[in-house]
Amino acid sequence: MAMLEIRGIHKSFGDAHILNGVDLSVNKGDVVAILGPSGSGKTTLLRCINYLETADQGTMQFKDETYDLSDTDHKRIAQFRRHTGFVFQNYNLFINKTALENVTLGLMTAGKMPKKQAEQIGMELLEKVGMKDRASYYPSQLSGGQQQRVAIARALAGNPEIIFFDEPTSALDPELIGEVLGVMKKLAEEGMTMIVVTHEMGFARNVSNHVIFMEHGVIVEEGDAHAFFENPKNERTREFLRMEER
Amino acid sequence: MIDWNEVIALAMESFPKMFMAGITATIPLALVSFVLAMIIAVACAMVQYARIPVIRRIVQFYIWVFRGTPMLVQLFIMYFGMQSIGIRISAVTAAIIVFSLNTGAYCAETVRGSIEGVSKGQFEAGYCSGMNYMQIMFHVVLPQAFRTAFPSLFNNLISLVKDTSLAANITVVEMFMTTERIAGRTYRFMQLYLEVALVYLIFCTILTWVQSWGEKKLSYYDVKKV
Ligand SMILES: Nc1ncnc2c1ncn2[C@@H]1O[C@H](COP(=O)(O)OP(=O)(O)OP(=O)(O)O)[C@@H](O)[C@H]1O
Ligand SMILES: [Mg+2]
Repeated sequence: MAMLEIRGIHKSFGDAHILNGVDLSVNKGDVVAILGPSGSGKTTLLRCINYLETADQGTMQFKDETYDLSDTDHKRIAQFRRHTGFVFQNYNLFINKTALENVTLGLMTAGKMPKKQAEQIGMELLEKVGMKDRASYYPSQLSGGQQQRVAIARALAGNPEIIFFDEPTSALDPELIGEVLGVMKKLAEEGMTMIVVTHEMGFARNVSNHVIFMEHGVIVEEGDAHAFFENPKNERTREFLRMEER
Repeated sequence: MIDWNEVIALAMESFPKMFMAGITATIPLALVSFVLAMIIAVACAMVQYARIPVIRRIVQFYIWVFRGTPMLVQLFIMYFGMQSIGIRISAVTAAIIVFSLNTGAYCAETVRGSIEGVSKGQFEAGYCSGMNYMQIMFHVVLPQAFRTAFPSLFNNLISLVKDTSLAANITVVEMFMTTERIAGRTYRFMQLYLEVALVYLIFCTILTWVQSWGEKKLSYYDVKKV
């Protein structure tokens, strides 16, 4: 049975229909890559799933619970978010907090965890993303790649069952992309369930097991990563892959 | 001819009295009022930022009234006016109420602007870390907003130190009132007013140093590590 089952997300901003009925099914341990041209609604899809935007309609089945994506009830939203992590394109680290504090803040405030215990977990997670020696640095003192790795450690802090990544490497200088993708690959190998919006074809091809191609707010084609790249069925998908792989 | 011996004798007598009044009355009056003003300002700014219906209108009304009327008139209403309708408030209490409400009204706008300057992404990251609105506000947004607002808020404090002299008009014995009393006895108005001006200047200069020191301290999170 799928771990996360999403049905019929619709979302408009004013007159613009951005998501036009997206269904998505994710199994435990899946690494789902979402591809698509700019403006196709990839970010909006992730944001609707994690309630950063309120969808116009749509439902979600997760851990024997049914969630309404147009719900605005804080308790329900918090309940869902307790099991998820989110990594933003522009990192969004708390700029007034050190790398370690970025990881521990949620544990200590939302999780009511004692400082000592939170810091122990924080250091372990920073070590995991290779940022232990920068624990006391503020975001402004870190490179983009380092900030994004701290952001991944922060997303891991709540011990999530699924992590959403919105173009985690798009804001990075080319030479810094590898270190972030490396961390993500490690997470994937450890069995973390991940939904990754990306333009990194190498990551989609080699790390993800399921690929989704979106355009104009609908899923145009999806399938097993190998089949998707070797044998795309839709003409638009083929065109997109040709453009991206140039 | 100026009798310098007399000038020096009066200065020796009056300066210590002024400093004492400054340290025991003017500065405490300003600090207590300012702390209250900060609480008012943050509360009002949060109400405005969150667009809480009704209360927000009340806050807007309060800010409008206190920014649109002279502080001296506010003091008279709070002390003599209240007295005349049978409500007795001590002069010091009346002064503290007016100073905190007045400064609070100005600072509320500053704080609100600074909160609005904090990137929405900070909120989103907080929510995704499981935090709720208030937790994000107190741990992430307000500290950042405070940093932005600090220079302007501190200017309000410096203004307030000077404006406490208005309290002399409602019988509060602060630094200026103390000066007035010596002047009333000795008739050396020019010398004494210049002296008290100098003491205010010294206080404000020291506060300006504190301000620069505070700004450096608060910029801890955007200093590059070497
Ligand atoms: N808050 C908003 N208000 C209005 N329009 C929005 C908003 N957020 C997104 N949009 C619009 O929705 C469309 C889809 O945006 P979205 O960010 O989901 O695309 P995307 O697939 O992530 O694109 P990209 O690859 O450029 O990140 C865009 O046309 C965008 O302008
Ligand atoms: Mg996007």
